[in-house]
Amino acid sequence: MGVKTQGAGPVTLTRGAFAHAGSSLGLKTGDWRVTRPVHLHRASPCHNACPAGENPQAYLALVEEDPHAAWESLVSANPLPAVTGRVCHHPCEIECNRGKFDEPVAIHAIERFLGDRAIEHGWDYPVGKPASDAPEVAVVGAGPAGLSAAYHLSRRGYLVTLFEAASEPGGLLRGAIPPYRLPRPVVEREIERLLSIGIRFEPNRRLGRDMILADLEKSFRAVFLAPGAERGREWSVGGVVPRDLRNGLELLQEWLSIGSLPKYQRVAIIGGGNTSVDLARVLKFNGVPEVHVISFRTRPGPGVSPDEAMPALAREIRQAIEEGVMIDDCRGVTRLILRGEQVVGVEMVHMKELPQRDGTRKPVAFEGTETVLHVDHVIPAIGEEVEPFGMEAVLGAHQFFPVDAEGQVQGHRGIFAGGDARLGGGTVSDAVGDGRRAAEAIDRYIRGVAAAAQAAPASIGIGELNLNYFDHAPRAGIIFLAPEKRNAETEIEAPLGAGEVARESERCFSCGECMACDNCWTLCPDNAVLKTTEMASDGSHYLFDYDYCKGCGLCAHECPVGFIAMVDEP
Amino acid sequence: MAADEKKSLFELRRTQPAFRGLEAGHLACQGCGQALGARLVTEAAGPDVIVANATGCLEVFTTAWPRTAWRVPWMHSLFENAPAIASGIEAGLKAQGRLAKVVAMGGDGGTFDIGLQALSGMLERNHNVLYVCFDNEAYMNTGIQRSSSTPHAAATTTSPSGTERMGKRHLKKDLLSIIAAHHIPYAATATVAYPSDLRKKVRRGLEIEGAAFLLVHSPCPLGWGHDGALTIEVARLAVETGVFPVLEMERGDVVAVMQIRKVRPVSDYLKLQARFSHLFKESPEARVELEHLQALADHHIEVYGLRGTSPDPRDSEGADTVRRGGLRWA
Ligand SMILES: Cc1cc2nc3c(=O)[nH]c(=O)nc-3n(C[C@H](O)[C@H](O)[C@H](O)COP(=O)(O)OP(=O)(O)OC[C@H]3O[C@@H](n4cnc5c(N)ncnc54)[C@H](O)[C@@H]3O)c2cc1C
Ligand SMILES: Cc1ncc(C[n+]2csc(CCOP(=O)(O)OP(=O)(O)O)c2C)c(N)n1
Ligand code: SF4
Ligand code: SF4
Ligand SMILES: [Mg+2]
Repeated sequence: MGVKTQGAGPVTLTRGAFAHAGSSLGLKTGDWRVTRPVHLHRASPCHNACPAGENPQAYLALVEEDPHAAWESLVSANPLPAVTGRVCHHPCEIECNRGKFDEPVAIHAIERFLGDRAIEHGWDYPVGKPASDAPEVAVVGAGPAGLSAAYHLSRRGYLVTLFEAASEPGGLLRGAIPPYRLPRPVVEREIERLLSIGIRFEPNRRLGRDMILADLEKSFRAVFLAPGAERGREWSVGGVVPRDLRNGLELLQEWLSIGSLPKYQRVAIIGGGNTSVDLARVLKFNGVPEVHVISFRTRPGPGVSPDEAMPALAREIRQAIEEGVMIDDCRGVTRLILRGEQVVGVEMVHMKELPQRDGTRKPVAFEGTETVLHVDHVIPAIGEEVEPFGMEAVLGAHQFFPVDAEGQVQGHRGIFAGGDARLGGGTVSDAVGDGRRAAEAIDRYIRGVAAAAQAAPASIGIGELNLNYFDHAPRAGIIFLAPEKRNAETEIEAPLGAGEVARESERCFSCGECMACDNCWTLCPDNAVLKTTEMASDGSHYLFDYDYCKGCGLCAHECPVGFIAMVDEP
Repeated sequence: MAADEKKSLFELRRTQPAFRGLEAGHLACQGCGQALGARLVTEAAGPDVIVANATGCLEVFTTAWPRTAWRVPWMHSLFENAPAIASGIEAGLKAQGRLAKVVAMGGDGGTFDIGLQALSGMLERNHNVLYVCFDNEAYMNTGIQRSSSTPHAAATTTSPSGTERMGKRHLKKDLLSIIAAHHIPYAATATVAYPSDLRKKVRRGLEIEGAAFLLVHSPCPLGWGHDGALTIEVARLAVETGVFPVLEMERGDVVAVMQIRKVRPVSDYLKLQARFSHLFKESPEARVELEHLQALADHHIEVYGLRGTSPDPRDSEGADTVRRGGLRWA
């Protein structure tokens, strides 16, 4: 065996021979390797599930140590966390891997905590002032879609003018979602700070009334249309309409703006969405003795798929029931029972939405299951469509803007649309996501670059985590106002305190991202994982020393979060 | 890789936040449990520690002459006399009035079999030494021969499975009872699957005045026939099935056990390892041996009271579960 000793050439060592002891570091065992460990960022399910594009994993990792950094991470996608933390349906929590272990992380409560913290401390959005000669973009409608687009365009350095028909910004956040789940000061203070980043806000300016689209196309490099869906759909039962028919959204908006409601005794609200359930609760809070919500869909619950369930938020339906609202689910209205033009009842029938031959789903009524419900008013709350006035040129015969994957209105270069005004979506977080995607597309459009075709990476499944390293821990107990103490003005859901937020954030599995647990560093039999905060450039705290790593794969197997993958040696 | 980056990697090695007692470049197999165990023991004991090491894989793979992976004073011994050497080191230090911790290390062959007499002497004389046995359940270094620690029904080169026998005919020696009979101040078992528990026991064994004994269950991918990536998984399953009880004894009495919250069937542990693969072929004999191994694990659970739901069922003090922002591996 030839061994190099100090100062000497290779010598053959015999028994009793002498050599200076050397460190085993001289033996580069890395050449045994056939596969090597690499750090691999994987998308977490919560991130992929968020319609607004948030990465909860990232801000959950930061919130305990540095709430401000956590908030900045959050608002890199969603500028309205105090709002969405309260009203989003939280698909992140539905997909959360932790939900398959014990209970999902209460992401929404932490999102809300960060949003509220920012309001309380007046944190500035991380946006620089745009250059005075920056390209100009017009945004129409200051609901969540328009606000998000304006914000993300500003972040990209554009000068944004935001036109709003109403005197104040917010859209349905201000105009329709009731204060018991979205207090007005929260909406106002979050939006006020958002607008102050340098967005030119022009209230009382309605497209179609105060200006026309062609003018905007002339003065701006691109236009984002986010007028929401304002026009109530026509409603009748077999052509019959009661004389004093009022639309649900209209009633809700009226109550919010002037605080009054018609006097009802027994009401049936038709439709299973948020407008229906919110109006039902507002009526209840205002003393209406009997309020029914009629929907051909099922109430949400375990085993009910989202397309079978009533579209209103599950939590809101649960609370409405607690407050005494009657939910007549799987029912349709077949006949209005009138005395003159006054409603005295409705005939209901059992219904279920079932797949049809052509692949669509349609509600089917089951003959012989008719019942009569005695009510003095029916209120349709069956959804809205885009008010076409002023937008006919791009809307055509559609009820919603037909947009491509980029958010650009089909056949109209430079005009983008999103939020409730496009088909699909219909939630605040969808609107926020639309605004961000449109801002990115507008940026590419103005700079004349094509979108990079890239499929969203699949999220990391629970099977790719090593659950041996996680203990069961109950989800933070969120306190709701008792049903008898509720009213239309007081927020029902209590916030989590900083301690509870810290504890809850620790429940996050950190799916697909290093959580600095030290497992690889501790468990490598070859001491080939080195710990460093400075030198690890991939967001982890560790480096593989490939001079010594033998490629056993133990670190990859024991990584709790699936951040290490074994790949073939190049 | 650029030269300066290499240099900085080298420096990084020297500035790790914890003492790393066993350096890279040793020649253990991929995923060796013993290599990990030895590093964990040394870093919990060191740097002011002297190690006496019986021959076996550990001695061979760490000291490819003229190099050494040890970053502490280390002395090679024969297969059978590491406890005697450690006793001598301790006595010599005492005579010189010097203070240093002394740890003896050996494999299961060196401990359960050939070194048992020397170990018994060391314990009986109550030397202030921590003896650590890395139990990989066979003579691995010489080619996987059965030892008295090899589990019942495991196949080795000298206890093969075939038409006559299903692997080793005899039982694994109950070494703990022998240790207990010496009435020493502290004895414990640990496993590479629970590093903080292991380190805690090393520190405790060294703190206590007098002889201490630690048995470390250390999977051997080569000898047990499992993927090197699964070393920790296998070690963990040994605990979760009751095959390897993790406990502490003082003066021969069991004073603490790592409880098992959800006991898993012993086949979960066995089926990952080729040394038990003959037990998964359809035959009445295989069935009998599987049931036998299950009964042995059940027996452990019963006599040591392993079933339990303390807040940290896996660990008597501080579980090896991860939480953000904390120094978990104490
Ligand atoms: C009662 C109710 C409860 C809801 N609850 C929830 C909930 O809990 N969670 C959830 O995610 N979603 C909920 N939604 C849905 C959510 O409010 C909408 O999806 C979201 O507000 C859509 O945002 P947007 O920006 O597209 O439209 P909008 O919020 O409707 O904003 C559109 C804005 O454009 C302005 N505008 C319209 N036309 C013009 C024009 N021609 N020129 C200039 N400005 C114009 C409007 O004045 C308005 O300010 C609820 C809706 C209702 C009605
Ligand atoms: C007296 C004597 N007999 C046999 C040997 C050969 N020998 C060296 S190591 C070893 C086996 C070691 O087994 P174990 O102690 O279990 O350690 P492992 O290699 O399994 O880690 C044997 C038999 C020896 N060195 N000395
Ligand atoms: S455990 Fe954490 S990272 Fe994983 S899905 Fe849930 S919130 Fe996201
Ligand atoms: S034979 Fe087993 S104990 Fe020896 S170095 Fe290989 S894995 Fe480790
Ligand atoms: Mg051995």
